[in-house]
Amino acid sequence: MTLALTKTAIEMKTKTKIDPRAIEMCVRCGTCRSVCPAFEVLGWESRNTRGRIMVAKALREGLAPDSDVLDSLNTCTTCGICAAKCPAGANPPVIVQEARRSLVAKGVMTEAQAGLSGKVNASGNTFGEKAERLGWLSDAEVAGLKERADRVYFVGCLDSYRYPEVAKKTFNLLKRFDVTLLPDEVCCGSPLIRTGSEARGLVDRNLEQIKRIGAKTVITGCAGCYSTLKKDYPPDFKVLSVPEFLAEHISELDLKPLEISVTYHDPCHLGRHNGIFDPPREVIKSISDLVEMRASRENARCCGGGGGVRAGYPDLSLKIAKRRLLDVPSGVDAIVSCCPLCIRNLRDAGSEIEVVDLVDLVGRAIRSP
Amino acid sequence: MDLIDKLREIVGERVSAAPTERLCYSSDASQVKGMPDYVVRPISTEEVSKVVALAADFSVPVTARGAGTGLAGGAVAVCGGIVLDMSGMNRILEMDLANLQVIVEPGVVQARLNEALKPHGFFFPPDPGSSAICTIGGLIANNGSGMRCVKYGTTKSYVLDLEVVLADGRVIRTGSRMLKSAAGYDLTRLFIGSEGTLGIITKAGLRVMPLPKARRLVMASFEDAEAAGRAVAKTFASGIVPSACEILDRTTIAVLRRCDPNLVLPEGDVILFEVDGTKGSTKESAEEIARICSPIAAEVMIASGEKEMEEIWEARRLVGAAVSRLDPTKSRIYVGEDVGVPIKMIPALIREIGEISERFDLPAMKYGHIGDGNLHVALFIDVLDEDEWTRLEAAADAIHRAAIRLGGTVSSEHGIGAARAGYMKMQWDEGTLSVMRSIKKALDPKGILNPGKLGLFESPSSSSGGD
Ligand SMILES: Cc1cc2nc3c(=O)[nH]c(=O)nc-3n(C[C@H](O)[C@H](O)[C@H](O)COP(=O)(O)OP(=O)(O)OC[C@H]3O[C@@H](n4cnc5c(N)ncnc54)[C@H](O)[C@@H]3O)c2cc1C
Ligand code: SF4
Ligand code: SF4
Repeated sequence: MTLALTKTAIEMKTKTKIDPRAIEMCVRCGTCRSVCPAFEVLGWESRNTRGRIMVAKALREGLAPDSDVLDSLNTCTTCGICAAKCPAGANPPVIVQEARRSLVAKGVMTEAQAGLSGKVNASGNTFGEKAERLGWLSDAEVAGLKERADRVYFVGCLDSYRYPEVAKKTFNLLKRFDVTLLPDEVCCGSPLIRTGSEARGLVDRNLEQIKRIGAKTVITGCAGCYSTLKKDYPPDFKVLSVPEFLAEHISELDLKPLEISVTYHDPCHLGRHNGIFDPPREVIKSISDLVEMRASRENARCCGGGGGVRAGYPDLSLKIAKRRLLDVPSGVDAIVSCCPLCIRNLRDAGSEIEVVDLVDLVGRAIRSP
Repeated sequence: MDLIDKLREIVGERVSAAPTERLCYSSDASQVKGMPDYVVRPISTEEVSKVVALAADFSVPVTARGAGTGLAGGAVAVCGGIVLDMSGMNRILEMDLANLQVIVEPGVVQARLNEALKPHGFFFPPDPGSSAICTIGGLIANNGSGMRCVKYGTTKSYVLDLEVVLADGRVIRTGSRMLKSAAGYDLTRLFIGSEGTLGIITKAGLRVMPLPKARRLVMASFEDAEAAGRAVAKTFASGIVPSACEILDRTTIAVLRRCDPNLVLPEGDVILFEVDGTKGSTKESAEEIARICSPIAAEVMIASGEKEMEEIWEARRLVGAAVSRLDPTKSRIYVGEDVGVPIKMIPALIREIGEISERFDLPAMKYGHIGDGNLHVALFIDVLDEDEWTRLEAAADAIHRAAIRLGGTVSSEHGIGAARAGYMKMQWDEGTLSVMRSIKKALDPKGILNPGKLGLFESPSSSSGGD
């Protein structure tokens, strides 16, 4: 066990104003140089955690923001491995996010940030899609959705628009446990909050529906949505990740062993940020062999997709993903994860091994679909 | 053509004059600040040589930087100019293990080198707390060391050969692949510990050692530091050379517990003795140390589990940066942190530091390499409190003076840099300093290499060796 491993879940409250103490926690020891995935690719101090904190501090003291300041702050994926390793107990992703927020509030942002915010606010999703969010269901299925239920499945933008088959499989698994959908779900707000923009409108729209349905639990299959629902929404309902839910109900699913071996990629916002390490592993181990990646759990390296990096710095994002793929053990049949953003980034980085959602794996093991 | 354009001709996009970048390179882990005008990230000896020659033409200072973990401001451009970030030259060029050596570029991180050596059964012994971060170049330039140096010696014992870019851009070699050689001045040693003031290291031939087969850890706690000091002296007198001999005072133990509540450690002021060797020899030595300590110690424990020991060392390595775990309003400020005294003076030093801490009303955590007389004092303050800063500086000054008075040094392994430059005159007499100045002037007549460091000249602005 290292210093870091004692901190399982990183506090990532986003509403609090950063007090100067949060910045002063950093003693500039440089430990983060050994872990920051963006720095590993880019190599400049301004693209490392320590530099970002120096930038945040200088901004408080009146540094005029320019494009380099924005690139320094915005190349952070908010993966949180720096916070997990920092001997001084600093929480850099929160500092970065707060610095982004204060700049955006003054109208200082990159085109990518402005574009994302405009698109999400106009369309309610990260792709600016005009199509129906529930397009993966038939009209009859939509009409048949329960209006009141104990539990809601929050699908998220990615599974709604890019991986509808995962959405479908997830909903099929969850349906039997009194789970319904939000009739007019919009983006959870994560991409906006991580990149410093307001997401109040989106949050309110989702909240209002959750209340109307009377759900006490919201279940989601996206690590970004999970973190946001848990930390940026009022604590009026319980938030569960799909792997937690599946682990809880594993005996009721009637699964058969698959006789394959897989590895598991911990999404930063599920693992490090929220301490959900074991449930996905329990589910995987119940149906296949699990071989851990070279860095896993608290030490898992980022896929490069989060924090607005995929949208703002696609090249950097894919390079980080490529490095993550080097952690995959040889001989496994699949890389399993629980976040569509991670899955997409690892696939786009050219993984030779199939990258699948945990729900896909479970789907293959179901005896009686 | 401007300097920046010429730099671009040499290194392409790997130069920056952006205010943000300069800001991010304006400090290391110390309190020293200085804004460079340019940051350059070379990837070859040729590039370094061209950049330095260009800087000489323009009479612009050049400051080498590894990972910027230095605790003396060594890598900070206190006179502006170019910072050469060497961390991109990070290839292990050759593993010549039949000759017990490796050839590396200076930007290789210490722990990466050891990861590469481990499967072959070898290791590079100097193991600073910052080993996961700091570079071989920084270690050589500071003659850094670590916990195992009490047995294995400091970095200087492991450098066989250097490739160095001199102040006019010429490239020389200082040694060979020989494990020993008696042929002229030992230029390798001259560059070790020179803190980037005599040349830029671009390659290093390092001696490596076979990994020991077994280790064992004896942890003994004591009523007070004097008793701990006596136990250390007796252990050495018995003929045992521990592979580590660390003191952790009770505050340090409390911080370690906060970092990792699962660590099994005794209460009080603790000495960690590590022995390495074979299974049999370590068992015997560990039991002997336990026997020596027992009459003096309050509690003695022996650990031999690989994982248990690694957890303790892992936590120990970065404990210095972790005091805020005790009180989040306090931060560790690295000043007065690296004094050393002859080992029998350690109890006296600890006593004096206790008095200083009380006098200035500043809490101090004390830990370090008691086996070689090196004590790290971690002073911690509320950084938002001006008055605490004033007291902090006074306390650090008192600690440095105490070390010199006890026949010791203001820096045992972190270097002089700019942070301790003012003490050189106290620690060395004029004759010694004048030789150092002559060497500097001979190798760097324009004074462009890391000016403002080592306290050889009056002040940063007059540090040019040319006049
Ligand atoms: C948490 C922590 C723990 C530490 N523990 C220890 C310890 O146990 N033992 C110890 O000895 N130190 C320790 N240090 C101090 C520091 O890590 C060492 O001094 C280390 O050797 C510096 O390496 P660096 O790569 O960061 O060099 P930098 O800080 O970047 O530079 C240090 C000096 O080396 C010069 N330099 C760097 N590269 C070159 C080059 N290629 N050619 C010429 N000159 C060069 C610089 O100009 C500067 O003067 C610790 C620091 C921290 C933050
Ligand atoms: S953020 Fe933490 S790990 Fe990084 S330099 Fe600051 S104190 Fe060190
Ligand atoms: S959160 Fe991740 S990307 Fe951001 S500074 Fe920390 S380590 Fe780097």
